[in-house]
Amino acid sequence: MINIGGIPYYILEFGDELVYFTPYTLTLFLLALTFTVLVIISRPEKQVDIAFGGDAYRTKEISLSEMRFRRFMAIACGLASMGAMVTGDIFNFALFTAMVGITNVGIVAAVKSPHVQDAAYQYGLVALAATIPLFAGAAVYAAAIGSLSMIELMKGTLPAVPLIAKVMLVIGVVGEGMAPFYAAKAEMFRAPGAPYVIMCSLSSLLIFLRVVEIVMLG
Amino acid sequence: MWGQYSYGLFVVMAAAVIAFFALSKERDDLHKLLLLDLVEIVGLGVIALLGTDLAEALILPGLTVGIAELLALSQIYCTKEGIRDIPVRGLNIEVIAKADAPLIISLFLVVYGMILSGFTGGAVAGLGLVILFISRSYREDLNLLEMASGISWALWIFAFFVFMFLPQYWFVALMGAAIGILLKVTVKMSLVGTMWGEQHD
Repeated sequence: MINIGGIPYYILEFGDELVYFTPYTLTLFLLALTFTVLVIISRPEKQVDIAFGGDAYRTKEISLSEMRFRRFMAIACGLASMGAMVTGDIFNFALFTAMVGITNVGIVAAVKSPHVQDAAYQYGLVALAATIPLFAGAAVYAAAIGSLSMIELMKGTLPAVPLIAKVMLVIGVVGEGMAPFYAAKAEMFRAPGAPYVIMCSLSSLLIFLRVVEIVMLG
Repeated sequence: MWGQYSYGLFVVMAAAVIAFFALSKERDDLHKLLLLDLVEIVGLGVIALLGTDLAEALILPGLTVGIAELLALSQIYCTKEGIRDIPVRGLNIEVIAKADAPLIISLFLVVYGMILSGFTGGAVAGLGLVILFISRSYREDLNLLEMASGISWALWIFAFFVFMFLPQYWFVALMGAAIGILLKVTVKMSLVGTMWGEQHD
């Protein structure tokens, strides 16, 4: 059983909950775990604005409750990314990815600034739209090959996965993880709170790397 | 079978394309959200088209994720636009408040829901109660209803334990689960209809 992610070290088959670790997914899982621990233990920073052409600077005041909420969302985002890394079921992957999308919006939307809120809303619309191709892709997987298990896909005995299913899955992940979209949303990263915003980009990177593996499997 | 599935997919795709076209024309933020919700419901058709038990098990999480995102986005919309809560007390339409029609409709829905039983029955019966609550603008103590919801949920979980550990009593467990979920969904749905803008203390 040799596949794109390497030979699985460990496979846990517990009913529908299928979890496996290959060298590839284990690396991604450890990365998500490290950053979640970092989010838990690190202390947030205050953003400093410097007036251009002068000496003046000011720090932004952020309330404790806002920071608490964002830390909670960042931890939830880390947990969802970890789940998406280790799951061996395509539908569970879709669910974890959708959760990453919601928590990403949550991390940004806690900021009480109209520009940031507006950006978060627009991104949320993209994430909502992306759930459609995401779940539809998983459904077409189930319809075409009769299984949602990635272990079964690895064995190579199943019929070929239609291209449309792969395309929809990738579009869904791109929309949820906002991988190319956040480049156009600078306001989201103008949001203060250093360690938490990084979780947005890290989780989207991780789910994107994982979907590459899933698409290459079948 | 594959042929029918493909036709169904085509219909869903066409509906999604129409909705996304409308979305590209729309400028109002709230309307964009509503349109996206419409597309999402149509999109669930792709999963429903599988037409198996698996599809039923997959639609529910799909729908839940959609609702969660919708709730989160509407909350962001309220904060973004600075909308404050305005307590809503019924519909305040005289014809609806006085006439017997809402009572008859809700009675019919509750009875029909009880006959259906289970999750679907709970949703139908709950809808009946929602109609009654929003047409009559009286206030009730909702804590009792919440408690009933909690107890019926416990009954449902208990029935699942019977399924797992005492499978020979499956019929009792089935009835318990059906009644538990019926009561729970009914109560939850009726609370959805009445707890708008209520300050909970």
